[in-house]
Amino acid sequence: MNKAIYANRKKLLGLFILVLIASALYMLVEVNFANEKLFNYAMKIRTPKLIVMLIAAFAIGGASIVFQSIINNTIVTPCLLGMNSLYSLIHTSVVFFVGSGSILAVNANLSFIVDLLLMGVIATIIYSYLFKKTNHNVLYVLLIGTVLTSFFTSIQTTLTRVMDPNEYDTLLSSLVASFNNINSEIIMFSLILLAALIFWLRKDLALLDVITLGKHQAINLGVDYDRCIRRLLLGVTLCIAIATAMVGPISFLGLIIANLSRQLLKTYRHSQLILGSTFFGMIVLVGGQMIVEHIFTYSVPISVFITVSGGLYFLYLLLKSRRA
Amino acid sequence: MMKINNLIKKYGEKTVVNDVSFEIPKGKVISMIGPNGAGKSTVMGMISRLIEPNTGHVEFHGQKLHHWKSKELSKKLAILTQSNNIQMKLTVRELVTFGRFPYCGGRTTKEDEQIIDKAIAYMELNEFENRFIDELSGGQRQRAYIAMVIAQDTEYVLLDEPTNNLDIYHATNLMKTVRKLCDELGKTVILVLHEINYAAFYSDYICAFVNGKIAKFGTVEEIMTKETLSDIYKVDFEIMNIHGKPLSIYY
Repeated sequence: MNKAIYANRKKLLGLFILVLIASALYMLVEVNFANEKLFNYAMKIRTPKLIVMLIAAFAIGGASIVFQSIINNTIVTPCLLGMNSLYSLIHTSVVFFVGSGSILAVNANLSFIVDLLLMGVIATIIYSYLFKKTNHNVLYVLLIGTVLTSFFTSIQTTLTRVMDPNEYDTLLSSLVASFNNINSEIIMFSLILLAALIFWLRKDLALLDVITLGKHQAINLGVDYDRCIRRLLLGVTLCIAIATAMVGPISFLGLIIANLSRQLLKTYRHSQLILGSTFFGMIVLVGGQMIVEHIFTYSVPISVFITVSGGLYFLYLLLKSRRA
Repeated sequence: MMKINNLIKKYGEKTVVNDVSFEIPKGKVISMIGPNGAGKSTVMGMISRLIEPNTGHVEFHGQKLHHWKSKELSKKLAILTQSNNIQMKLTVRELVTFGRFPYCGGRTTKEDEQIIDKAIAYMELNEFENRFIDELSGGQRQRAYIAMVIAQDTEYVLLDEPTNNLDIYHATNLMKTVRKLCDELGKTVILVLHEINYAAFYSDYICAFVNGKIAKFGTVEEIMTKETLSDIYKVDFEIMNIHGKPLSIYY
């Protein structure tokens, strides 16, 4: 047993080194070292981007693993169930109803807090109701989730259609955050929030290993199941909200990195799974963004690559699980 | 001590368990039998706190079950249900280690490891110790789960249809293990069974359910009579005495 832990620690260390290499490359490729001003300028542009990507990778990677374990299925991720569309909808509605001139929309941090509060409450209600009602039946959850995704997206598009063009313009820049247009104003706040979340959920996270044994076994082993699931679900929604606010929706990223982590580590230990998934996310995002910036010179956004390869990977996982 | 008082469970309009009361004798093997839909598994679920009764309560060591702290209860009462599908890559030893979770919460001590070793040896799982659960046969997997329950080291062990999906060899061995759990380790074992003869041969008491009510509760000899069984199952029975136990033939 201990051998497996050590083997996994080595793998994680390897991944971590890859993360460092990717980050270093991202920061230093095609930088003009000779000219100090140019160098500083490049650093000033690249540093917040890198930080945002690392945070997003952690938020998405952690949330995906936790979510999969809650629902006891590895081909579902929060994004597939429309959590990021919900976030976009909430953000749009806030701007729509309070107006783009309002302090709630102008101040990035304040608007983020409002979004998060709404997201936490609404998503927890919707998704825990969904789980209870369908009795954790994954096919139903997936089906309803897909419908919810287009439902949220349609409302959101409708809102933007009827919106005042000026308001839409201000909304757009904060709404369609992408890797070329990251939202770096909320870095500090997100970091603090994530740290607080981890601290608040530390006991529940430790129970995740037991929760994957299934509801009955978890209760049998003394877990306060419903309460624990509620808290974890809230954590997941907040993580997704943070990631979506920073880099925009990337549906398949969570699926890819969570499953890569599970395949590589082959363990039930969530501390390792979450780390693995985070590292994979960092490598994919930072490495991918570097390729997009320097090889494709921004002609193709990274989310296209992630969606295409993620879609294929999703099909592969579906077919594989059917055979098993 | 475990006492069951006036349990009622309804799903919508349908009353699945209707006013069930009985007392579970300590240190014995008690089997719950009855036709499909008689409410055996639901009663089991309520005894084990997995299902919340509509009215009535289960009294455990003088305190109502839902007043117990879940964690404390998990040191005294273990349940094994029918549905155990794990999506995780988990070895037999890791599964058994989970049995110690109520005591050590994930960080096992030397003492825990010893108990785990013993549980694995008790269920003769040493050669599979490091195999993944999903690579085992149904019988081996069931044994691994029993080993986990043994590691949990509780006074009460509840097994919901443990012989389901097992062939005769593995089912019989499982029932022998159940007997040993009671005789050697002094545990009270409560089972839901479909095989009447396993219940007759290996248990001390039988509780027969029909339509959500207890049809009869008593010793094996009291229940295993032609009349009682015909009443419960609505088919003809013959009772034979084999090795001093009343076994039934139905047709």
